[in-house]
Amino acid sequence: MLRVLQERSSVQSGRRWISTLLVALMAFLLASGQAGAGEPDPIFNDGFDGVVGPNSDVEAARFLDQASFGGRLSDIAHLRAIGYSAWINEQVAAGVSGIKPFLNWMALTEGVYQQHRLEAWLINAAQLYDPAIPLATHNDQLRQRVAFALSEIMVVSDKNAALTFQPWALGDYYDTLSLDAFGNFRDLLEDVTLHPAMGRYLSMLGNRKNDPVLNIRPDENYAREVLQLFSIGLSQLNADGTPVLVGGNPVPTYNQDVVRGFAHVFTGWNFAGCTVENYDDCGPGNPYESEWQTPMQAVEAFHDNSTDKQLLNYPGVALPGGVLTAGGNAQQELDAALDNIFHHPNVGPFIARQLIQRLVTSNPTPAYVQRVAAKFADNGGGVRGDMQAVVRAILLDDQARHGQLSSPSTFGKLREPILRLARLWRVAPAHSVNGHTFRYSHPRDQYGQLPLSAPSVFNFFKPDFAQPGEIRNAGLVSPEFQIATDTQLVTAPNELGWRIFYFYVGSRYSVVWENGAPVPEEALMDYTALKALAANPATLVDHLNLVMMAGSMSDYMRGLLITRLQGTPPDHLPGQPDGAAVDVALFRVQQALYLIVNSPEFNIQK
Amino acid sequence: MTINRREFLRRTIHSALGGVALYSALGNLKLVSAATHAINGGVFNDYKALVCVFLNGGNDSFNTVVPYDATHYGIYHATRPALALSQSAIAAQSLIAQATQPGLPGGPPSDAGSYGLHPAMPELRSMFNAQHASIIGNVGTLLGPITQAQYQAGGFPTPPQLFSHDDQANFWQTSRSDDANASGWGGRIADLLHDGNPSQQLPMTISLSGQNLFQRGDSIDQYVMSASGVESIGYLGEYQNELGAQTFGALIADGTQAHMFERAYAGANRRAIATYELLQSVLGTTPTWTTPFPNSYLGSQLRQVANLISARGPGALDMRRQIFYVSLGGFDTHDTQLASQAGILADLSASLHAFYQATVQMGIAGDVTSFTASDFGRTLSTNGDGTDHGWGGHHFVVGGDVRGGRFFGQMPSLLQNANPDDAGYGQIIPTTSVDQYSATLANWFGLGAAGINDVFPNLELYASPDLGFMAS
Repeated sequence: MLRVLQERSSVQSGRRWISTLLVALMAFLLASGQAGAGEPDPIFNDGFDGVVGPNSDVEAARFLDQASFGGRLSDIAHLRAIGYSAWINEQVAAGVSGIKPFLNWMALTEGVYQQHRLEAWLINAAQLYDPAIPLATHNDQLRQRVAFALSEIMVVSDKNAALTFQPWALGDYYDTLSLDAFGNFRDLLEDVTLHPAMGRYLSMLGNRKNDPVLNIRPDENYAREVLQLFSIGLSQLNADGTPVLVGGNPVPTYNQDVVRGFAHVFTGWNFAGCTVENYDDCGPGNPYESEWQTPMQAVEAFHDNSTDKQLLNYPGVALPGGVLTAGGNAQQELDAALDNIFHHPNVGPFIARQLIQRLVTSNPTPAYVQRVAAKFADNGGGVRGDMQAVVRAILLDDQARHGQLSSPSTFGKLREPILRLARLWRVAPAHSVNGHTFRYSHPRDQYGQLPLSAPSVFNFFKPDFAQPGEIRNAGLVSPEFQIATDTQLVTAPNELGWRIFYFYVGSRYSVVWENGAPVPEEALMDYTALKALAANPATLVDHLNLVMMAGSMSDYMRGLLITRLQGTPPDHLPGQPDGAAVDVALFRVQQALYLIVNSPEFNIQK
Repeated sequence: MTINRREFLRRTIHSALGGVALYSALGNLKLVSAATHAINGGVFNDYKALVCVFLNGGNDSFNTVVPYDATHYGIYHATRPALALSQSAIAAQSLIAQATQPGLPGGPPSDAGSYGLHPAMPELRSMFNAQHASIIGNVGTLLGPITQAQYQAGGFPTPPQLFSHDDQANFWQTSRSDDANASGWGGRIADLLHDGNPSQQLPMTISLSGQNLFQRGDSIDQYVMSASGVESIGYLGEYQNELGAQTFGALIADGTQAHMFERAYAGANRRAIATYELLQSVLGTTPTWTTPFPNSYLGSQLRQVANLISARGPGALDMRRQIFYVSLGGFDTHDTQLASQAGILADLSASLHAFYQATVQMGIAGDVTSFTASDFGRTLSTNGDGTDHGWGGHHFVVGGDVRGGRFFGQMPSLLQNANPDDAGYGQIIPTTSVDQYSATLANWFGLGAAGINDVFPNLELYASPDLGFMAS
């Protein structure tokens, strides 16, 4: 317990310092913005990337749709004041939000499970009050959004039984992605490879060299997936992400010999502190122990140092013929193997395309992928794999900024289901009495998606899933549609509806109100600001159009919503005291939120 | 890679069924011996259903199927005196095993003992004796056959995380003890056979007990409903919300979206609503079941499965192949087992019986097979008033096509000491794998050789890929 406390307080004090600095910085920046009376200040807006803007609230909101969990009015104003480039700089510099501090805080009073990881994730995404670090603002939205994207590429999951009761392992894994989000891809690759959660998930942990007596050969699980899913993919790509075709057929990036070669490289790794003697049965006894949060370490006796390994072979490969000659120790061979992957020409376009898909659009043009991949290859300063440069290139590309104009009927993507809840809590700020977010109301299967809870290493959805019908017929892909199933399209609206109609400040609903007071753990949405706009339905709808849909609502939808809000409320609203007069403003806010958050127009981020 | 291969197989099977060839597979059709005996314009022309009855927590099958002859009962009683059921009570539930048929597996228990069922299970006993149910002895997760000597020597392949609930329950549901992240074997079958249904409205995998791994496929998603009915979009039926419902409808109405993805999303919404409305409409009038279902959680799940099957025909659900998932909890009997297990076994017995009778009433007893699965068997040894996590255990298959009244596989020794089947601590080494058990059911279901090889890649490790407990 002492260890936990110490760790928490050190994180906390570090955070507090960063927060203080940020508050000062933001105050300065806001003041600068205000000096221009709401007009973008050219000094801040004329970024080094040559992308000027945003030039309107709508442009700002649209950018924040891609780069954050959704722009609130204050976010929109701030972005307009400082411009895209400065905003990205600010995000990169912002203190890093973590999952683990909340888990450690939880551990002071009760058992910690995966559901608490979800609470921490929502606190970070929706920027709720954080009881673990009361002064934290969780202003690192871009970093968290990128980390979420990475968590869907380099997948580990609590659906794997060996990880189900390991919330710290997964929390630490997620925090690793957050910390590495703007670092170098090579470091990210190594941190992911050596994380014990990944080690357990794809069985590199405890992997060992050939043992002919015991009939054991190296496990190929991680070797296969790190190539197929985390770095280069199955077939060779052109610089623009399109497949290399020979005689009309794609060309494989590797074969079974290569998988075997990497499998032999990835031998000898186990929990930190394991030894030759206890290699088969060592590791932490409890989920909170440090071994779950410490990179795997090598036990050389179980590392294959006696065979040559066939790794990836490609033009310009450093290893002759892609062969790693025998003799290195576990870390040396790992370094060589990860370098061998990192320098494969596929990595840039492969990762660029998927990050674009998660943040901006399902179907980026090859030229867009190529521009981002070029930044991956060289950030302009001769560095390969600079993720900050990659993210910047993704968001500031002309396609990201104006693709909805050039491809108005296909640009964009289906919003991820769990992001709808985070968005709701940003639009109508949520908070609980004691800083938890749920007592009994944790979402489970309703969204078909929770962070680090994918059904398999193939994520909740695959990058090339194409919804049957018009999208597939057009040769386009729509990954997120894979989980828009008959089941989820009922359960998610119902879950969101439950929150909207029952989980609001003032609600007397039994799950959130008992013994004459709010249930302290349940996060409730505060509708005060929205209700103030509801006297005129058009005002409310236009506000929500900006903060939820970046101003893209059609006149058709706007008209329908206004008509609905002008309609007669029911005699009684859920959660209202018996006999209370009908609160028309509450009715309008709830109806507007529900209808928007479940509408096709909102659900396609454009 | 697996997914690509499965997609290819799915398409070739679909082609073999006479459907539109979605994929140029010339020369590869010979892969498909699947289900081609029952083809008609791309769909199956007969109906079959599999019902997985998952016993959560790991059933103690050694107190479920119990010997009562003097020799074997003596051993049983000596091994678990504190938990032993009375000899006379077991004898009163005696199982009358059919004689062995030449050239076919199955018959009396392999140890030549006389067995009866737990006294709480009279209905299941009647079904066994009437040859509508059989017992598969000592089934468990394996990575190939393994002897006690091999197990104790160590290093021989066994499934990871033996004796752990979640891991072993997962392996039962995936039939892939070599891959902790595999999809479910029911789901993988659905990926291959879904196109063989006349209607594509409803997924062929339906769960009455929440999202489950067994039915998770790569392309076909399980439909989750509850024993009490189908979840609908609550907003559309709220009191005095007619204008709200109308607005929702207008937002997803066909032809009102400008963006291709919005149209697709609206279409998916309309489809989801149509699916639950269809289910609600067919479940609005259900048969009166002459054998009442218990008003238990399992009983109501199986009643709902029977209701769904009764609506399988054209004009209603129009399905020819369906896989259902139901479950019953409480089997993790570390303590007070004698009291707690009796109640849930009684529920299992009565519910399976009512369900079987419903299939008889529908005239399709031979087209529906129910089978049990569980995390693991429990330890032969006891901890006083309960048992701990074991490995192999006995299982039931029920249905008109089951070669009923028979024991299949091996009955393990119940000796406390010097037990040749004991992995240690009374955890019994399985002699039949989950893969064989599952593949036998899948074979009956019409998966065909190519499909079997795809869905059960580890089956090649066993001499008998089909255990022979299904009649056709």
